[in-house]
Amino acid sequence: MLLQISEPGESTIKEACRKRVAGIDLGTTNSLVATVVDGTPQVIGGDGGPLVPSVVRYGADGVLAVGRAAADGAAAAPRDTIYSVKRLIGRAMADVASTRAMLPYDLVDDGRQVVVAVANRTRTVSPIEVSAEILKELARRAAPALGGGVEGVVITVPAYFDDAQRQATRDAGRLAGLEVLRLLAEPTAAALAYGLDRGSRGTYAVYDLGGGTFDISILKLVDGVFEVRSTGGDSALGGDDLDRGLVELVLGDVLGALSSHERDGVLRAALTSARAAKEALTDATSTELVIELPTGTLRRTLTRAELAAVAKPLLERTGKACRRAIKDAELTPAELDGVILVGGSTRSPVVRDYVRALFDREPLCDLDPDQVVALGAAVQAEVLSGGDQEVVLLDVVPLSLGIETMGGVVEKLIVRNTTIPCGANQTFTTYADNQTGFDIHVLQGERETVDACRSLARFTLRGIPPMIAGLARVTITFVIDADGILRVTAKEETSGLEAAIDVVPSYGLTDEEVERMLLESFDHAEDDLRRRNLQIERVEAERILAATRGAFASGDPLLEDDVRAAGEAAMAVLAAAATGEDYHAIRDAITALDLATKPFAQARMNRAVAAAMHGRRLDAVEHEIDASIHTHAQAHASAATVPS
Amino acid sequence: MLGLPPGFAIDAAAVERAFHERSRTDHPDRFASAPASERAAAAQKFAVIRDAYQTLRLPARRAEYLLAREGVVIGEHERLDLAFLDEVLELREELAGALAAGDHAKVATLEAAMKRRHEGLVAQLAPAFDAIARGGDEAIAARATAKRALVELRYVQRYLEECDRADA
Repeated sequence: MLLQISEPGESTIKEACRKRVAGIDLGTTNSLVATVVDGTPQVIGGDGGPLVPSVVRYGADGVLAVGRAAADGAAAAPRDTIYSVKRLIGRAMADVASTRAMLPYDLVDDGRQVVVAVANRTRTVSPIEVSAEILKELARRAAPALGGGVEGVVITVPAYFDDAQRQATRDAGRLAGLEVLRLLAEPTAAALAYGLDRGSRGTYAVYDLGGGTFDISILKLVDGVFEVRSTGGDSALGGDDLDRGLVELVLGDVLGALSSHERDGVLRAALTSARAAKEALTDATSTELVIELPTGTLRRTLTRAELAAVAKPLLERTGKACRRAIKDAELTPAELDGVILVGGSTRSPVVRDYVRALFDREPLCDLDPDQVVALGAAVQAEVLSGGDQEVVLLDVVPLSLGIETMGGVVEKLIVRNTTIPCGANQTFTTYADNQTGFDIHVLQGERETVDACRSLARFTLRGIPPMIAGLARVTITFVIDADGILRVTAKEETSGLEAAIDVVPSYGLTDEEVERMLLESFDHAEDDLRRRNLQIERVEAERILAATRGAFASGDPLLEDDVRAAGEAAMAVLAAAATGEDYHAIRDAITALDLATKPFAQARMNRAVAAAMHGRRLDAVEHEIDASIHTHAQAHASAATVPS
Repeated sequence: MLGLPPGFAIDAAAVERAFHERSRTDHPDRFASAPASERAAAAQKFAVIRDAYQTLRLPARRAEYLLAREGVVIGEHERLDLAFLDEVLELREELAGALAAGDHAKVATLEAAMKRRHEGLVAQLAPAFDAIARGGDEAIAARATAKRALVELRYVQRYLEECDRADA
């Protein structure tokens, strides 16, 4: 394989072309960035430590504040200060109904997703834009440590984030002008940091209770392979809920008696006090809660027992998810080698007591639960940028994916806990004579009926030639990439007509939207964007030229003379393009070189496969591959259809 | 694909070891900085490795695969023993009642019973495949036995999935 050839001096080429990469934990409450320095992941500090509050204020005066600056003085502008935006990303209004009552800012339904009214309600911003501001701030922090602007990032997401939430998170990264190398599940990132730290083997549960999300993952660690066996959770459950619970406990009726304007300010201040009290109860068994009300100051003693009572129903929800994940992994709690605690909320003794009882063992928490996710993300960023870490992550899709069939039933194509990247296809047929269109409704969830699952996208395959019902064969293919994001295509086979359509996401942004928003945002003028793209393409060009030169120099007998000639011509074109200013030209030249060397790459890949088969004949292997594909594509069903 | 000898009786730990081994060398992430065409080839190859692993890991899928190699394919609408169907329907109704009533203890009892049935059916598979491997008249009967067990297993599995919904 081109890239695996070890050439003299290759490591220096690799080093020179290496991207400046970082890992980002984009949290509900706090975010942080880490990077690998001399083989060791380290969080990047700043004013007030490594944690950046995930808070953005859009002032009525047009001033934007991010992080600590936005969090300080939030009570003065509660409606323009966006907290906990992670709870809103990739969500529709109906999804956030329960959260909404406790958020002091105004949510608006733009028909596709929830947006937030800011700057004294003169404009709205989407959760993607708010998240992008936080990411930009983190990238700014990382730049000095990396010796230049960040080129690629791994952003962590809760394992239980669905497709819409993942797409929206990836879009936030793009909007921040960052290349998102990978979206990585938070518990997997934590396991990576732990596993490397201790050289562990065995089966571990990662209990990750953050500010606004809860994840449980069961992983098996063997010699650098991190295999996720199952995952579960709740993407709207976290420490924030404890703060809200405490405010309800303490203020209860008082809140209802306030005017809506007074209420927002009081709520914001009360949530801040509740959080402080909750944190104080980590070390103390009782503390004083102080809340400023329009009528005066409220002081009240709060005990750890009261916190435990508020936490109980929330923790029981986590327990249910844990039992299910253990069951999905086909294990019993006794078979686990350990339980790892992740997320700031697991600092609380109330949470620790619960986890200890649930798993009947002392949980592991020797790495800082606030930092461990970012550290793991930095390691994965290093792996993906060609670093020396010998690690492979085998992650899974958290929720089943399927399409709607007759009678509002969901036919699953990919079941939850399938290792990603993965794909599946299924063949459906038409329902009416002369039907030329085929409606495809993509859903995610575990339930059997359409209304109980989450609708991800709808599209129509048109142009099927008229024929009698049941004759057309429409193959629907799902592909889940390594980020856990789905791409669906549909194809009509019998007629020879091949129409394929990609899904337009119901949430998230189209490429055009991202480009437009990038252009519109004040600190990303058109020229900036062009320069960024140019830089990205130049790095890519250098890397590919180095790899190809190395492979050509190896004297491999598989390299045919005509392929070599075409490859060398394409390399010359690319080398010339890389010195120019037109990033489109570089991109085109990369594609051309890729195409020119494809026969060689293919031949080498075949040889590698053959070698792996221990001398078995290649056609036998292919036969086996065919058989395995066929066994997965046999099922037929009738899909919901549009006669037209 | 994983370099293991074919057959129904396999060493689960060896399958897992082989999969981890192949993942280490062939996972698409190992090719993250390769040209696009190689990345695509690597992704495709890994998909085959992953499918092979998942087929081998679960006894029912492994058996379906082996039977398919024998030319015995299990379709969507296989005929079933009526007594079995009646029993399953009755058990499903009982389960639906327990689920609707939120009777977790009842669901757990039904689930445990169905799991025993699951194990019983899986236990029939190993001797059946032994007989198929020996060939002769015995093999014909054994193919039928394996097929019936697998068809029944599909119903049993769907039932167990239904039980799962109790704590969903």
